[in-house]
Amino acid sequence: MTKFIETQPDTWEIGGKTLNSRLLIGSALYPSPANMENAIKISGAQIVTVSLRRQAAGDTTSKGGHQFWDIIKSMGIEVLPNTAGSHSAKEAITTAQMAREVFGTNWVKLEVIGDQYNLQPDPFETVKAAEILIKEGFEVFPYTTDDLVVAKRLAEVGCRIIMPWGSMIGSGKGLMNPDNLVAIRKQFPELKLIIDAGIGKPSHATQAMELGYDGVLLNSAIALAQDPVKMADAFRVAVEAGRLGYEAGVMKEREFASPSTPTVGTPFWHQFED
Amino acid sequence: MIEVIVNGKRTTIASGLNIKEAITALEYKGEGFALALNGTFVAISTYETTIVRENDSIEILAPVQGG
Repeated sequence: MTKFIETQPDTWEIGGKTLNSRLLIGSALYPSPANMENAIKISGAQIVTVSLRRQAAGDTTSKGGHQFWDIIKSMGIEVLPNTAGSHSAKEAITTAQMAREVFGTNWVKLEVIGDQYNLQPDPFETVKAAEILIKEGFEVFPYTTDDLVVAKRLAEVGCRIIMPWGSMIGSGKGLMNPDNLVAIRKQFPELKLIIDAGIGKPSHATQAMELGYDGVLLNSAIALAQDPVKMADAFRVAVEAGRLGYEAGVMKEREFASPSTPTVGTPFWHQFED
Repeated sequence: MIEVIVNGKRTTIASGLNIKEAITALEYKGEGFALALNGTFVAISTYETTIVRENDSIEILAPVQGG
């Protein structure tokens, strides 16, 4: 893609790492491990989410586990283990501790689910788990709703990163409550804010970035596209576009029409009419 | 022999085994997994000093794709 303005590379810092890409990508639901690898590469993402599940005895290939993990390790990118499936702070903390040992990172995407139907995070258990994990030296990436007060509680217990949902996990509905997301952004300019969950198409990611969010985390929107690799490229561009738009400063909305073409010298207009 | 629950399924192992011996007996090989005993994480460094007891619940987890 041609760049008409030579800008400094867009680097940013999160969890002690300096990165170029503001797109965080999941590793699940792809048609094949090779497709996953290509999609991650094309997306430019430097953080990929992973998880832990029960391993059968004597089985080193269950659920594509080891092949998948070998691919991720070979890519030289940061891994962000999640605590998906946890329904209490205790389960999430134990999962995080296990993930730290297996994946060799103190990063954890903290997910404590409070409702099985819409996979809404449990704010009380999430805050409780975050506080304990931070004391144990974890860099916590908490998945939360767009509730300002929950974000405030997470910040109070030491979270430097907060990840409000756009909408329900896997729904593809985009940003349900942009005003709430703006309020969180304005309240916490010093925190790293990532939109996590609900992104369905590239324009949703652009919108999130235009709101001033530091990044977006998504999985289904790419993995479930008809062509995941092409969609990964689309999201790469969409995130860059949104960030550039935010940095450029979006014009203020107006409640009235305002012509963009100069009115001076408008043809066929006569001062003496009427 | 004692009864234990491994990844949600009941099974039997010899009594008095530590975690390292138990996972060998259960045919878990190599590395790349982590273990919790009765819902509490057990670090590899403490496998040999942690004894498995009757009705203990063991979770053995390995990397998978995640969102």
